[in-house]
Amino acid sequence: MAVYKRNYSAYTGTVTPVWTRVLVLARYAFEEAWSSKITVGLFIFCLLPCVVSLVVIYLADNPMARALVGGRWQEMLAIDAKFFLKILQTQAWLALVMASWIAPRLITFDLADNALPILLSHPISRFGYVFGKFIALFTSLSLITWLPCLLLFVYQGYSSPQPWAISNLQIAMGLLAGSVIWIAFLSMLGLALSSWVKWRVVATGVIFAAVFVPAGVGAIVSALLRTKWGLLLNVPVMMSNLWQRLLGAPAPISERLSVPTLAIAVMLSLVCLVCVGMLNKRIRAREVVRG
Amino acid sequence: MGVIDLDGVEVRLANRTVLDNLTGELHGQAIGLLGPNGAGKSTLINTLLGFHLPSKGKARVFGLDTHKDRAQIRGGIGFMPENDSFIGNMSGVRFVRYMAELAGLPSGVALERAHEALFYVGLGEVRYRKVNTYSLGMKQLVKLAQALAHGPKLLILDEPTNGLDPVARQRMIRLIKDIRKEGSIRLLISSHLLRDIDETCDEVLILKNGRIASLCNIEEERRSNRSFMELETVGATGRFSVSIRGLGCECATFPGGRIKLVIPDNIEARDLYVIASEQGVQIRRMNQRRDSLEDIFLRAMDNDQGRTANGSL
Repeated sequence: MAVYKRNYSAYTGTVTPVWTRVLVLARYAFEEAWSSKITVGLFIFCLLPCVVSLVVIYLADNPMARALVGGRWQEMLAIDAKFFLKILQTQAWLALVMASWIAPRLITFDLADNALPILLSHPISRFGYVFGKFIALFTSLSLITWLPCLLLFVYQGYSSPQPWAISNLQIAMGLLAGSVIWIAFLSMLGLALSSWVKWRVVATGVIFAAVFVPAGVGAIVSALLRTKWGLLLNVPVMMSNLWQRLLGAPAPISERLSVPTLAIAVMLSLVCLVCVGMLNKRIRAREVVRG
Repeated sequence: MGVIDLDGVEVRLANRTVLDNLTGELHGQAIGLLGPNGAGKSTLINTLLGFHLPSKGKARVFGLDTHKDRAQIRGGIGFMPENDSFIGNMSGVRFVRYMAELAGLPSGVALERAHEALFYVGLGEVRYRKVNTYSLGMKQLVKLAQALAHGPKLLILDEPTNGLDPVARQRMIRLIKDIRKEGSIRLLISSHLLRDIDETCDEVLILKNGRIASLCNIEEERRSNRSFMELETVGATGRFSVSIRGLGCECATFPGGRIKLVIPDNIEARDLYVIASEQGVQIRRMNQRRDSLEDIFLRAMDNDQGRTANGSL
């Protein structure tokens, strides 16, 4: 109990610019996401493939190591677009695991405790609220996707005996663009689905389901209608197509599984629009009275 | 310019008119918002916060349009919602600091003000506990602390004593009185408890079915020297009340033969006994007393049409 009576005093100091409130939201969301030990554990796990890749690059650029490794292992040590495509694919799917863990933490706590009326009664719009959470999720996923991928690219450029980086700049651009498209898509999907599910564990499952269940449906559609357009429901195939083209890697999948880039872009945009609609419906200070 | 200006405000939600042609200027230091459930109190608050766009008319807070200037208005408002609304897995001090930072306080100042606000409302000792471990009374207080921390110009309290036990209610009322006395904050207090409004407010806006049923200065009403009387009767109460209305009395009837009257100067108690005797009605109890907020409220509720036109003081 306080030993003396405290009085209320008005605040007369300066206030921060309105646009920085989004960053306040992002900062608190980021802290919330990383306050869990599971997040830290997942982060370390997600960086393991990068460490392995780092070792491979080291060996590939080390003449003694190359001499020791003979035969078909030489092929494995080729550092090219195909090699970076594998890294990008691995990191991208680990990003899905990370997003499905973090995204529900950012939204469901606010929804479960009905915090939106209080949060939105401050000078922050609904767009600002979602954007703040988006920044937090996007930043977290960046730490395991394009950032380590580009660091590996830089390391390869540094340690390669021949000038390598300039002639393979498309790989760097592809890594950046492919990662950014994927994590932006994941962030939108994760936030939209989390806003509709109050329980975090369920939200995590729903995010996974939203990626893989339509792929199954797409396969059924393709088989029944004898068309390849069912692949537009198959996110893994769509993204593999996109990444392969962005990095300029040889097509690892058959022509039968190839989808036009424009169709992929339209499909991803459509999903993002649906996510915006879902967030618009759900992120409100008050429920709309029905009837 | 009033604290709140309403100019023919109409709000429609799901094809239903929830607020209908509200017009009035509210000037008080502490403004009470009264009305039965579903009268439109919370909708009016949400409209002032810019959550609902009026389908007709305009609402202004400190002269700023609630839709166009909502960011500016929200910066100067502290809002304590009616229902549970917090982030449960944050500690009290972190939650209040977060809200203060969102309102525009720099991070260090926000932390300092969060501690002060929590001590002020009496949660100083539990400020490091997670909010979801707080009791209902503590949750109400932490909502008040977050509304106060950034030093708002207008504090909106939606049912601040909801669910509180008598001791906690007294503490909340005392805090509201303190804030009012300090003078730098205007208050808008929504409640369906007349006693809360009576104790804390100097002006009251009564809503009924989305319309203004009454807008008055409580102190002025009390000073108007109107003579009130409560009767407890047995017999044909309905016919009796019609007759006393004929004498020029304002009258409201209640179950159990209870009648509340406002008596003009030229009418005496004896006249009521005469009518009662003529109609075979027994007057079991007669109690004369001064005006109260309850009377103002009951009169407003008795007026079925509500007040649709000008509500200015």
